[in-house]
Amino acid sequence: MAGIELKQIQKTYPVDGHTIHVLKGIDLQIPEKSITVILGRSGCGKTTLLRLVGGLESPDSGEIHFDTAHKTAFVFQESRLMPWLNVWDNVKFGLKKQPCLDATIQNIIDTVGLKGFEKAFPHQLSGGMQQRVAIARALAYEPSFIMMDEPFAALDYFTRNQMQKELIRLQKNRGASILFVTHSIDEALLLGHKIAIIENGQIKKEFLIETDSDERDLLAEELIALKREIIQQLDL
Amino acid sequence: MKKTLSTLAPFLGIILVVALWFLVCRLGIFSTYVLPPPEKVFHSFLKMLKSGEIFQDVIISLVRILKGFAIAFLLAFLLGMFRSLVPSSEKYYNCIVQFFRNVPPLSLIPLLILWCGIGETTKTVIIVLASFFPMYLNIVKGFTGCDQKLLEVGDAFGYTRFEKFKHIILPYASADILVGMRIGMGYSWRAIIGAEMIAASSGIGHMILFAQEMSRTDKVIVGIFVVGIVGLVTDKLFGILLRKLFKGNGENGWN
Repeated sequence: MAGIELKQIQKTYPVDGHTIHVLKGIDLQIPEKSITVILGRSGCGKTTLLRLVGGLESPDSGEIHFDTAHKTAFVFQESRLMPWLNVWDNVKFGLKKQPCLDATIQNIIDTVGLKGFEKAFPHQLSGGMQQRVAIARALAYEPSFIMMDEPFAALDYFTRNQMQKELIRLQKNRGASILFVTHSIDEALLLGHKIAIIENGQIKKEFLIETDSDERDLLAEELIALKREIIQQLDL
Repeated sequence: MKKTLSTLAPFLGIILVVALWFLVCRLGIFSTYVLPPPEKVFHSFLKMLKSGEIFQDVIISLVRILKGFAIAFLLAFLLGMFRSLVPSSEKYYNCIVQFFRNVPPLSLIPLLILWCGIGETTKTVIIVLASFFPMYLNIVKGFTGCDQKLLEVGDAFGYTRFEKFKHIILPYASADILVGMRIGMGYSWRAIIGAEMIAASSGIGHMILFAQEMSRTDKVIVGIFVVGIVGLVTDKLFGILLRKLFKGNGENGWN
């Protein structure tokens, strides 16, 4: 299956004279046109792995292989909006001088539920709204591969729910590949076609979910059983 | 009542100083040559306004400042940009920059007169030297203090180094740049008056020194007031510009 292949990825960071092994040989296949979720407790190396795949850092050893040409976008844990740009210009930030239709941008802003806030500056928005602008910025870039680092962590329950549904819809419509990092088991079960549990810098187990992501019910037998197994794997 | 008091607040200090000045003169503590009374100074000021001579000197000084200030800003900006794009270059020139930063420009006047004569060049160089360092240091602070997290956004969207400079570093630093310009402008004023007192035949500094030689203490005080007022006005203009450009962004803490 085409996609991204990670082979024996290792990464260390020097901290106060010591070397910390964050990733200790990760092997992972990220399939195309689906959502791959990396699940783990905080500090297990999830974000580092995402940054390596996104090219923001290089691994100490190992290989990251992209099967096809790709256009990647990143949604960070924090919104990271440009404080001097309004919502509209922030959404267009990734496009640089690339021509784009105003209607397309407006459509994306509407999708993330920010209609009427086009002229607002980041400091005038709530944390959740800022994060939605960041997601809109990534979508406007029209990537074939989106990396998301706990993008919904700052959102309230309702917005989070809505955004998760939106993400599933967008992924289906555009056929984008998504690498999604989260520490929420429910979120992983709701979104992921593939769930990779990472612990101590290694992939501990991988799960595949066959049910279509927009038809999932977290209270269905199958998902409850899967949740139980994931909890077991995470030693909770 | 509270509102009237706060509107009058800036003037209360001035009124108090003038009243004290008036009182000291009335009591005859100092001779009128040492400290002319406020009404005499005001009268001279009106006379100089009517004849236009004060404007002539102010404009001459202002033109000198703008010329030197523009050159200094351009140099500071280009060097600051270079410093930001090639951070490793700093170690080669930082020592020289710090050395000259600590040399008062006025101390260079004897040399500058020797090299450039007593024409406009000397004064321009003095202003460049006076305003360059505050601007350069603020511009560098703005350029190098850019939030790494925002720069990473540029990386994530495939921005080149120059694009990151133009679209992230420059807007991020603009508040620091303007603050540097504001301080630089103040330094220019101080330096030009000194320079004009030593090597000039026109300008406010020269006017003050000439008045002293003519024993016109009232004109000296008028000159000092004019310097203060013009300085205050230019500073206010920068303040307004800062507020206009960064409307509301201050709450975000980035400037």
